[in-house]
Amino acid sequence: MRTYAMNEITLMQYILLVHGAQVGTGILSLPRQLAETSGTDGWMCIIIAWAINCLAGTLMLLSARKYPDFTIIDLFNYLFGKWFGKLLIFPLICYFGFFGIDIMTNTMLYIKAWFLPKTPEYVIILLFAIPSFLIVRNGLRIQARYVVLSFFMMLWMPFFLLFSMDSWNVLHLLPLFKEGWGPVIQGVPKTIFAYTGIEVVFFIYPFLQKKQYAIHGFLIGNSLTMLYYLYVTLVSFLFFTPDGITSVNQPVLSLLKNIEFRFLERFDMIFLSLYLFVVSKCWMIFIYCTVYSTSRLLNKQDHTSHAALYFLLAIAVIYVVKPTWNIADEWQTTLSYLGTVVLYVLPVGLYLYIRGFERFHRVKTR
Amino acid sequence: MRFFDKKSAATDQPHNQAEEDRPIHQALAQNIEEVKRSFPAAPDLTIFQFDTAPHGTPGALVFLDGLSDKNSLNSHILRPLMYGTQEVQKDISLPTISGCRILTTWSDVENAILQGESLLFLDGQQEVTAYDTKGWPQRGIEDPQLESSLKGGHQGFVETGMQNISLIRRYIPNLNLRISEQKIGRRGKTNVWILYLEDIAHPEVLQELETRLSKVDVDAVINTGELAEFIEDNPFSPFPQFIMTERPDSAASQLLAGRFVVIVDRSPSVIIAPATFTSFLQSVDDYSTRWLVTSFIRLLRFIALFIALLLPATYIAFISYNYEVIPIQLFLSVAESRARVPFPPLIEALMMEIMIEMMREAGIRLPAPVGQTIGIVGGIVVGQAAVQAGIVSNIMVIVVASTAIASFIFPSYDMGTAVRLLRFPMMLMASLFGIVGIVIGCMTLVGHLVALESLGTPYGSPLAPLRLVDMKDTFVRLPLWTMFRRPTSTRPIQKIRMRRERPRGDQR
Repeated sequence: MRTYAMNEITLMQYILLVHGAQVGTGILSLPRQLAETSGTDGWMCIIIAWAINCLAGTLMLLSARKYPDFTIIDLFNYLFGKWFGKLLIFPLICYFGFFGIDIMTNTMLYIKAWFLPKTPEYVIILLFAIPSFLIVRNGLRIQARYVVLSFFMMLWMPFFLLFSMDSWNVLHLLPLFKEGWGPVIQGVPKTIFAYTGIEVVFFIYPFLQKKQYAIHGFLIGNSLTMLYYLYVTLVSFLFFTPDGITSVNQPVLSLLKNIEFRFLERFDMIFLSLYLFVVSKCWMIFIYCTVYSTSRLLNKQDHTSHAALYFLLAIAVIYVVKPTWNIADEWQTTLSYLGTVVLYVLPVGLYLYIRGFERFHRVKTR
Repeated sequence: MRFFDKKSAATDQPHNQAEEDRPIHQALAQNIEEVKRSFPAAPDLTIFQFDTAPHGTPGALVFLDGLSDKNSLNSHILRPLMYGTQEVQKDISLPTISGCRILTTWSDVENAILQGESLLFLDGQQEVTAYDTKGWPQRGIEDPQLESSLKGGHQGFVETGMQNISLIRRYIPNLNLRISEQKIGRRGKTNVWILYLEDIAHPEVLQELETRLSKVDVDAVINTGELAEFIEDNPFSPFPQFIMTERPDSAASQLLAGRFVVIVDRSPSVIIAPATFTSFLQSVDDYSTRWLVTSFIRLLRFIALFIALLLPATYIAFISYNYEVIPIQLFLSVAESRARVPFPPLIEALMMEIMIEMMREAGIRLPAPVGQTIGIVGGIVVGQAAVQAGIVSNIMVIVVASTAIASFIFPSYDMGTAVRLLRFPMMLMASLFGIVGIVIGCMTLVGHLVALESLGTPYGSPLAPLRLVDMKDTFVRLPLWTMFRRPTSTRPIQKIRMRRERPRGDQR
């Protein structure tokens, strides 16, 4: 069953793959969304959501651990039978594919708004598709290498926000629990889109070299994301006034706009364009999971043609739909709902099913 | 029985050569006729007939004139054969020469003559003695031009493979230095030697290299570069996938790092494999200079990499798309110098870059005394005059000059040219999409580098996959005694290369 011996990934690659799949464009507007529902207590939502996600991911890995050499497709085949399994896995693959397009669309909208207002949407997607195709057509190991390299290359980015320290005001955060727990709990669903991405562990788990650390690795990756979000949200809350933050669309970018050097004005432009490296990690792993799964479903060894097809399809979709911010918002809301299902309902259901399935099997074999 | 004979002959030899497997004739005259028939229109073929001492058997010495060492031929073969020595073997007195073997078939005879050996035919004998008298015009050992070093040795490889092997053996007098030989090229029959250290180099990589070499089926391999192109992993990549060097010291140090050295006979440069991207930014001098200085120079090279790759593109992006990034003061002075220029930035940059590249290429062909003059003239034309004529802006000249200088910093010529070439697509992307175009270009490059392999080992190592141990010798070079492990990117089987003997703390 081990067809992926050549593509094993190390623990660090695994951690950063999980982390990379989570951090996308969500972070740019997350502080505003949190501030809208829960005021400056919003940062607590991130911690609560982190705890929930840790549980969900652990559950995913607990069910995957029983079948360490099975990818999600093999698992579904095994659990639900050949045809029913394929039928069940299909929506999940669609979700992944949709997610990939949505992240690219979001990024495209940012790039279009900040850099290339007159360039057609599909041309920007075509631009994204070139490097993505080069990487996605290779094995998971190459994705992992790319993720690790770009993670370390872009490690300076969060520290860059510290330049805004002069205008921080701690009073913005106080008092804690201004309006009790209510708003804090209400804000939690807003973080779902930002946290989605942990579902890739279903796909990458069988490739991990040291499977005994799978849960540890996942927890580290998820915590890394949590710290990252928490840091960025706190900085935004400290920088903007509690009322002001709701009036800007992407607080992080507006914050960056205020950072200026004598030799370089508008560093945020360079920052945002380099942020492409960070976001690309996210869409690439989703697209990889999609095309890898579809090619496995059709019993193909090589997923290059599927990757090419995917990007062509994405370009075509963007060409036809011509997404705007509103459409992207709709997509994002839809994905948040779907994400809730994939992130929380699917692991619980799968875990319970496997428990039942095993018991049933044991009875049968006895 | 006949059937079996036929079959074995067919498997041993390619079809049309089966005839050349004939045995040698008994009579001398017949043999001489045969040789003459095999080498028609060969004025350099010499057949010297004489009576051998002490019994006076008629014999003939056959050799190619320019390919044999006349001195040893005359005094160490002909003299004993004609005037006799104490030692007599098989009816003739023994020549005082070490390399000597017996040939029995005509194909061997022809090959031996072509390789520069001299052959002794004796009347009444069905075998031929071949004496090793190979000797051909050779160049002296010189400092390699392309990769001169300040502190390293000043010996470079030459065109004779055996001498190159001995140059490396001088650095590594160790039994574990293994050499495996292969012949490549149907006509050229080039000797190719793979050198490696048995207890360091990874056997899988060796197997990969050997299979790739054995799959090469060409007429002849004239140069190392040709061979490299036949065996590299990705022929469409702009990056060199093997290090090619003319320096024995760098070849030896790469051997010690667990890499393989492929020596190609008749070519002064050797292939070093597997290579990584960062190894092209390292030079032998790095290890003989003090480590702080070297670290500084290493960092300079990495900065130069970015300048050579991105500076013209950045200029184009900043001038034509993202001018809000530059501070207003700088922008005013740029605008002032660009006011007279009628071309869009891309055309301006392309013009200058192509001009510089042409000057560089012309510099190679021009004879040394003329070269300098032309360089100065070209420099003035490209610089001052072009600005005054209003064809390009001052800033552009600065950009082009810095780029040119930066692209010559790389110790490896191949990597330098790769970077110079990649600059043009970057400029195009910048002129089409501004900064985003550059970032997409970089992403494509990173994606390509991450996926690229050299002999099946990752090319991006130690950056991708990340190997923290190798970081001691990547962007900076830490003192040698801290690098007690061999670089992991070559997958050596013996990982530790030295003992940490340096006293630490209170031990001093």
